[in-house]
Amino acid sequence: MLQEERRHRTETITLSGRESERLSRPDIRDEFGLETMDMNMGPQHPSMHGLLRLILELDGETVVRCDPVMGYLHRCQEKIAENRMYPSVIPLTDRLDYFANMHNEHGYCLAVEDLMDIEIPPRAEYIRVLMCELMRLASHIPSVGFLLLELGAFTPILYGFRERERIQNIFEAVTGARMMFHYIRIGGVKADLPEDMPEKIWNYVEDLEKTFKRDFIDLIEGNEIFISRTRGVGKMSQEKAVEMGLTGPPLRCTGVDFDVRRDYPYSIYPELDFDVVTDEAGDVEASYRVRIKECYQSIRIIKQVLEKMPEGAVMADLGRRLRPPEGEGFGRVEGPRGEFAVHVVSDGSDIPYRVHYRDPSFVNMQLLQEIVPGHYLPDIMPIMGLVDPVSGGWDK
Amino acid sequence: MSAFVNALDQEPWRFIISLLAIIFLTLNVAAVLTFAERKVAGYIQLRYGPNRVGPRGVLQPMADVLKLFTKENLSPGRADVWVFLAAPIAMFIPAAVIWMVVPFAPKAVVTNLNIGLLFVVSTTSIGALGVVMAGYGSRSNFSLLGALRGAAQMISYEVPLILSLLGVIILTGSLSLVNVVNNQAGGFWHWYIWSQLPMFATFYIAGIAEVKRIPFDLPEGESEIVGGFMIEYSGMTWALIQASEFASMGLMSAITTTLFLGGWQPPFDFLDFGNFNWIWFGLKTAIIMFTFQWIRWSVPRLRMDQLMDFGWKFLVPLSLVWLFVTAAGTLIIH
Amino acid sequence: MAVRLPEGNLQDRLERYLGKFRDHHELEEEEIEGNVVRVAVKPEDVPAVLTTAREALNILHLSFITVVDREGSFDLTYELLDLRGGIVKVKTAIEGEEPVIESVARIYPTANWHEREAYDMFGIAFRGHPDLRRPYMWQDHFDHHPLLKSFEISTKRTFEGLR
Repeated sequence: MLQEERRHRTETITLSGRESERLSRPDIRDEFGLETMDMNMGPQHPSMHGLLRLILELDGETVVRCDPVMGYLHRCQEKIAENRMYPSVIPLTDRLDYFANMHNEHGYCLAVEDLMDIEIPPRAEYIRVLMCELMRLASHIPSVGFLLLELGAFTPILYGFRERERIQNIFEAVTGARMMFHYIRIGGVKADLPEDMPEKIWNYVEDLEKTFKRDFIDLIEGNEIFISRTRGVGKMSQEKAVEMGLTGPPLRCTGVDFDVRRDYPYSIYPELDFDVVTDEAGDVEASYRVRIKECYQSIRIIKQVLEKMPEGAVMADLGRRLRPPEGEGFGRVEGPRGEFAVHVVSDGSDIPYRVHYRDPSFVNMQLLQEIVPGHYLPDIMPIMGLVDPVSGGWDK
Repeated sequence: MSAFVNALDQEPWRFIISLLAIIFLTLNVAAVLTFAERKVAGYIQLRYGPNRVGPRGVLQPMADVLKLFTKENLSPGRADVWVFLAAPIAMFIPAAVIWMVVPFAPKAVVTNLNIGLLFVVSTTSIGALGVVMAGYGSRSNFSLLGALRGAAQMISYEVPLILSLLGVIILTGSLSLVNVVNNQAGGFWHWYIWSQLPMFATFYIAGIAEVKRIPFDLPEGESEIVGGFMIEYSGMTWALIQASEFASMGLMSAITTTLFLGGWQPPFDFLDFGNFNWIWFGLKTAIIMFTFQWIRWSVPRLRMDQLMDFGWKFLVPLSLVWLFVTAAGTLIIH
Repeated sequence: MAVRLPEGNLQDRLERYLGKFRDHHELEEEEIEGNVVRVAVKPEDVPAVLTTAREALNILHLSFITVVDREGSFDLTYELLDLRGGIVKVKTAIEGEEPVIESVARIYPTANWHEREAYDMFGIAFRGHPDLRRPYMWQDHFDHHPLLKSFEISTKRTFEGLR
């Protein structure tokens, strides 16, 4: 009875828009004469991912309604991009998903290259893929740490950030920057790798492969508390996942094997040999396993890329002013959080007429209002770890 | 030298010295433990921990105290001010008072209460009151949730905690902590940890829950309810809450040592230092504290329902079973 | 339980998609280019076309909805992926200062937030949307839609001198 009424109430709440029914009818009580409690999580909450505010309605510790409120980091990147020349949009894309910038740059550059029909030198493609896979490692490993941090274990995040730090050192040597790279350019990449870099990257991934199990699996995977906190939490079916438009690890942890790298191949991914990792369970634990296994796949890809890397130029000859023909360009890459797509519309001038980003954080976060109700309050945080959104991503 | 030590052993001096030592200890254990905690955390997490104030950072607690003293003591506008301000005191006093019955060395115990264990158990329960007061007084949703969690958790884990004491009481035949320690004399194989291993485990786990540390730190739960009952505290009131948490952690280690690890008893008879046996007591307590910290930085946190399940469905039956075994064994042997 | 993903040759599949669209709906433009099926339809046909895609053709994934302000009309692109290499782009154009279009959130629930975003940025009202609030901008007392071309920003850099 109570469940029925509550479901009905949540439905009416989501349907009627912003006003909670309880706010308009403050006398509403459940059958025990108790009322629910409204709670604001964020935007200044120590473990919230970025600047997200969740309006929660709690019945005891059970969440009845969860309403994500965004916009605290909104910069209207798409509007700014409409007022910049094509190459100067790239540094802006860095600020989108600031945890995986390379993929944003790559997606945007693919879109503009699609618009202009540019051929990329093969070495540039290899360097792009190399950087993107390193970026994926640098994003997945701290994500696992964040998940554990949200469960209350403080240590893994520091191990995760140690690895991210090492990868950032590589990025710094290659691109000159640690976070906002502006490295992948339209027509190639900014600069060739430093001479000793392939060997350094090779040594690093070899080292990572050896220590990965010790640092990120041994104390976590079989941990009884970790299992009891994550198994069955945030459980969703494949239909639900597909329906909500999820991509990336949240989709693959339900068992739908979709990976842009394989199904909508771009760059040199068709030439590379890698597996699309899936898991059956579709809960937080499964997403953890998917992320961990994807790290191994990334290491595999990096090694192949380093072995096959051709010599040659890294930048196509484009001239300084880009003036694409009128038309549309699409770029789609598999970021660490899912499908990152860019749609560029040109009107023939040197300024994009419209740039639209499809950011996985934004789309995946719809899941929150669907699956959080019914969970306990402490389960919100692992579910955030499953979705793993980034503030710059959903707020564009 | 030995004459001087013997003179200190006589009645007024013994009491005064042990009392001073306890006051000193209570006030400083929190500072020492915060420093230790941060250093241990640092080394577990591949970093240094505090290392700027003083040599290797040992003066960091001083700097913390100075900072906290000079901070403004805010209370929320809607708070119930008296309850809000009384809560840290209600948390701190029990943690300080219990040290009175803990024997540090053969004669270094402030009062040898013959109901020592009862005193320990009953006074620890007052801590829950402080948590509820803090949560209710601050009038915040987060702190209310924290207080409710804290009350439920501490009252539930009181049960296995007390049950696990009963085995020791049966073996000793006394409630006095001094008698408990004296009965464990004669080498480490006489310590109660061996015959009472399940009870030790129960007591240890329930102790962690009682002092609200990870994996049982739900009342704080900083990743979901942001510090729980202490969310609105700042400055010295917050420091007092922290001090009481660390003091009760030290206390729990001390009582574990006393009950199951032979208190000040040396592991071998030839290592008996007489009045300086507090070294053994300190060493064992420090080891237990370190394991608390080790666990704190290694495992995630449980959820409330899982916590309750674990307490009522595992710890209580376990301690009941072992209580029965102990009682039967004692009956058969005598 | 399990989701059924399309199989078989990509080109045949694309032909099948286009054939189905052609059979059931009135298409203004149609084209197959690479792995993309591009159809342009009237705005009132969009929900029907997407229903065909979702129900009859089992195209599961709505990737994004792009709105382009053409100053006087709005171009909408619904990009659908069948998750196995095929892309369907449904294009439409709506006229008017205060554009209204039927919501597709009931067909593709993921369109919910895409449409909210479009509403926020362009002021396009989606009829029948379950929860049409502004996700980014202020909910009250802000009547502008920043991605409209008529919304001027102060840091416009035209690089006129370079041209």
